[in-house]
Parts: sequence; C-alpha cells; structure tokens
Amino acid sequence: MIALPIAQAAVPRGIGLLEWLGDLDTWLGPDGILSSGLDTVTLCAAVMGTGILLALPPAALLAHLRRGELTATALVTLGRAVPTFAVAALLVPVALRRGWGFEPWPIFLALLLLALPPLYLNTYTAIRHVDQGTVDAARAMGFGERSILFRVEFALAISVVFTGIRVAAVQVVATEPIRAFLGGDGLGRYVRDGLGQNNETLIIGGALLIAALAATTSLVVTLLERVTVPHGVRRLRLQTASRRGSIG
Amino acid sequence: MTESAIRLLELTKLFDGAGEPAVTALTLDIPRGSIVALIGPSGCGKTTTLRMINRLIEPTSGRIEIDGEDASLRPVAELRRGIGYVIQEVGLFPHQTVHQNIGTVPRMLRWERARVDERVAELAGLVGLEPEQLGRYPDELSGGQQQRVGVARALAADPPVLLMDEPFGAVDPIVRARLQDELLALQERLRKTIVLVTHDIDEAVKVADRVAVLNVGGILEQYAPPDELLHAPASAFVEEFLGDDREIRRLALKRVGDLPFEQGPVLDIGRAPAEARALLDDARSEWIGLTSGGSFVGWAHRDHVEEAATLAALPRELPAAQVRASSTLREAMEVIMNSRTSVAVIDDGGRFGGIVTLEQIRSGLAGRDA
Repeated sequence: MIALPIAQAAVPRGIGLLEWLGDLDTWLGPDGILSSGLDTVTLCAAVMGTGILLALPPAALLAHLRRGELTATALVTLGRAVPTFAVAALLVPVALRRGWGFEPWPIFLALLLLALPPLYLNTYTAIRHVDQGTVDAARAMGFGERSILFRVEFALAISVVFTGIRVAAVQVVATEPIRAFLGGDGLGRYVRDGLGQNNETLIIGGALLIAALAATTSLVVTLLERVTVPHGVRRLRLQTASRRGSIG
Repeated sequence: MTESAIRLLELTKLFDGAGEPAVTALTLDIPRGSIVALIGPSGCGKTTTLRMINRLIEPTSGRIEIDGEDASLRPVAELRRGIGYVIQEVGLFPHQTVHQNIGTVPRMLRWERARVDERVAELAGLVGLEPEQLGRYPDELSGGQQQRVGVARALAADPPVLLMDEPFGAVDPIVRARLQDELLALQERLRKTIVLVTHDIDEAVKVADRVAVLNVGGILEQYAPPDELLHAPASAFVEEFLGDDREIRRLALKRVGDLPFEQGPVLDIGRAPAEARALLDDARSEWIGLTSGGSFVGWAHRDHVEEAATLAALPRELPAAQVRASSTLREAMEVIMNSRTSVAVIDDGGRFGGIVTLEQIRSGLAGRDA
C-alpha cells in the first residue's frame, strides 16, 4: 500500500488564534478539531485499555507472589528511556511491509510501550507494599489467595494503581500527536500543518489543544478514581498524602 | 486440663536454603482451655511453630493434631476459620471501619446482617470498646484499642483456639499490663485454648498456665507450669534465660491464700490482758493483734499491754498492713516492708483471716507445692 497525500488543514495565514478557534468550521467537519480530537481520544483509549489489560494482571499477580522484583527494577530504568518517536518510526516500514498500512499500528505499539511501565510499576509497587501483617491476618482468617489479592491487596493498592493510570494516560495523550508526523492525523495535525504552512496560529492553536486534552485526561482519571474507589480506601490516600506533605 | 486440644508430634521445619531446621522434632501437648506460652530467644522457632498450627507455614515433617484430627487433612480455609489469630502488627484492614473489621469472618461465613451486627456489638463489649468506636477507622484508635479490635476480630466466629504472636509487643508497658489483665479476664469467661508467643518472660509467667521454653532451632528445653519453671529450671539454658531474679518472679505467681498462714498473736478484745501477755511471750512478739466480732481492729504494743486493765482500752495502732487471700506474695511483701509490725493481716471483706510474715513467704517459696 502506498501512502496517500495527506489532506491538510487550509487556514489563511493572517488569521488570529481566537478567530480560528471561534470559527465553527474549525471544529466541525471531517478535518475539524472534534473529529481529529476523537481520533486521538479513540487511539489513546485503545492504548490505555490494552495497556491496563496487559500490565495490571501480571503486575498484581507477581507482586502477590512476591516475585519479579528485578523485572520491576529493570522496567523503571527502561521505562524512562523508551524513545517513542523512534520506536514508532521504526515500526512504520514493518507495518507497511506486512500490509497494515502507515497507521495506526506503529503509533499504537509505540504508545503502548510508553504506557506499560507506569501501569505495571505502580500496580506492582503498591501491592508489594501492602502491610504484610494485614495480608497475614487475612490469610489466617481463611481468605483464599484470590480474595487476598482482590479484596485486600488490590483494594488497598487501588489509589496508587490509579496514579499509574493517570501518569500513563497523560503521557500517552501528550505523545499521541507525533502520529501526525508518521502519516496519521489526530490532534497533532494542526501543529504539523502549521509548520508546513509556516502558520503560527495553527502551531500555537494545535499545541494548546494538545495541552488542554492532556489536562482534561488527568482530570477525568482523577474523577474516575473518586467515583470508583470506596471511601475507606480514599481517606487512606488523603492521609498518606497529607503526612508526606504532598498532594500526589 | 488433661485433655489436649492441640498436639504437636515430632514437628520439624526446615526452610528452603537453611542449613539448620527452624524447629526440630517438637512434641507438645496443649491442654484444652489453657494458655500455653512459647518463649525463647530469637531464632528459637516460636513464631514458626505458631504459624504451623494454622498452616501459614507447612511443616517439613511431623504432625499437628487439633481435636485429635490431623490438621494437614482439613481444608485450610475451614481450619483457619476455627483458629483465631492475633499478631503484634494487629493487621487490621485500614480501609474498613472497626465494625467491618470485627465482622470479617462472620461475613465470610455468610451470616445474616443482623446477626453480624449483634455479634460485633457483643464482642466490642467483651474487649472493652465503646460503641461509637465501631464506626471509626483503625488508624483513629490508639495502639491498645487497635489490639482490642484485633482480639475481637479473632474471636468473631467463636473459634475454640486462639493463636497470639507477641500480641502486646507493640504497646507501652502500662497498656501491655492492662491488656494482659483483660486477656486473663476474658479467658476466665471464654476458656479458649490459647497459644501465645512472647519473648517476655514476665508476660509468659503472668498469663500462661504452661510455658514452653525453646532453644535456637526449636528445641524444647522445658515445658512446665510457670512456678515449676522458675523454681526448678530443667537446664542451664533455661536457668540463664530466666535470669537471676527468677525466685523473685515467683512472688508474683503465688497468692497469700496458698500459704500455710497462721492465726498469730491475735486476741479478741474481750479477753483478759493476762492471756495477751502469755501470748506475746509465747510468740516472742512486740505486738499483739486485736479483733472484735471477727474483724481486725488494730495492733497494740507490748509496753501498753503490761499495764492495761482491759484489752479494749489499749491504744491501738491503725491502719494495719492488710492483704487479701487473693493478693500475690509480692504484694504481701511490699505491704510488710512498709509496715511497722512486720506482719500483714489477711482481711477479706472485714473478716480476719490470719497473719503473714516474711518468714512464711520465704518458706512458701521454698516449698514446691505450698
């Protein structure tokens, strides 16, 4: 399959930022912000869903079994060093050769690689650090291993797991726009097109949109946590935070 | 006392990668309804032994019988629900209220809600928790209160056996003493079979009916009631472990009522002064005790007795040093040390029971079964 010429957002060069954002046509239509934003959100959601499914179960299980400490340590080092853009770019020829097209597989896999370390690490560390006495007491009361994992360890770790989800989601959303430079669209298209057309309004507007979506993502995950995590667990988190003098 | 609730038979545990066993061929009979303390230096396998009873650790060889039944053949969850477990870290669920914590096992057994609530309220009363504390979270309670919740939770489904691993190790000495007293009061009512791990010989001597002293590697050095342990250590190891003041510790174990105490130089105030003088000469005592209607009313000095017309008219020394038959010898000794008369009067609710002297306490300690 051969790459098709990419449809560019055509915006007159002299137009101001507010004017651009204030125009209904900028938002609606096939190349509009809503449509591009939906592309981005869809891809990010797919990445996060896959990432959670892939990272959480093994992290939880290994932490419960108190195994895989080295894997976790290695991931910390590795996770900080994954060059997402390079990975995605390297995957493009692979995807093309296999007939998957330009998009979105390379960027999907690169983003997944970005999301996995924080998801895995936070889950692993949180469960590993659940008070051993509590786990012991539960086991001695006749809790099965599954109950211990879900009703004690995971229940107590959930807030930190959510922190991992938030960190991963924000990173993924903030990085996804590189897709526009790898033959795709999404919210990154405005920056790309702005650069191509030397149009400052598009560059700044596109950057602002990306930042806004990343901030919204962080907020949404926080709200999601508030809705799903029971009161008893949430107050623990607040307490830990106030003890440490942070608002993590 | 003789029927065993738990029997450890040639129990051995060798951990993976360890050269020496943590517990070596340990055989122990734990009588039903009694408190047995496992004590010894670190590395003596006392906690390992405890954790083998509810199978948190599986033995390498040997057997554990609970009510005559091989514990390894019972489904582990069912076995554990019949064994309460209290640990030093308490291990309460921090995300659950005190009420939810105590109700954990009943809920697991699918009791009806009303029954769980009723049981939780009952247990709270039993361990001395206020009803309004039930809605709190564990971290809002003091260490001592948390441990009470831990005990209540362990007792929730009324298990016949209770395992306690240094249950009072994390609280200050005053709270610890109170919790020990509460445990004894609780045991008076519940008559559970309790196995308690401790490194504190005073705790073992105070709460246990029998004490098992373990040496490094889980080798049983001596298994005896506290008094016997203190009076006749079976080995140099036990003797050293108990310390030089082991005879003094025995004072806290024995009660005044156990002594062959005597009436002493004591007379009713209605009697003649001549009788009193004879009694004083007999007892070679400086003081004579006076009773009236069966109650002790005070001490009179020999000097006054010589010239008195009636005993009732004698100047009396009050308050007299008093103990009860249920007082420990340690308490009696303290009272005697602080009194001018060198004797304590046994008084139970106003009734004169006799007198205690240091000499009696000394001979009481010397005799094994005094």
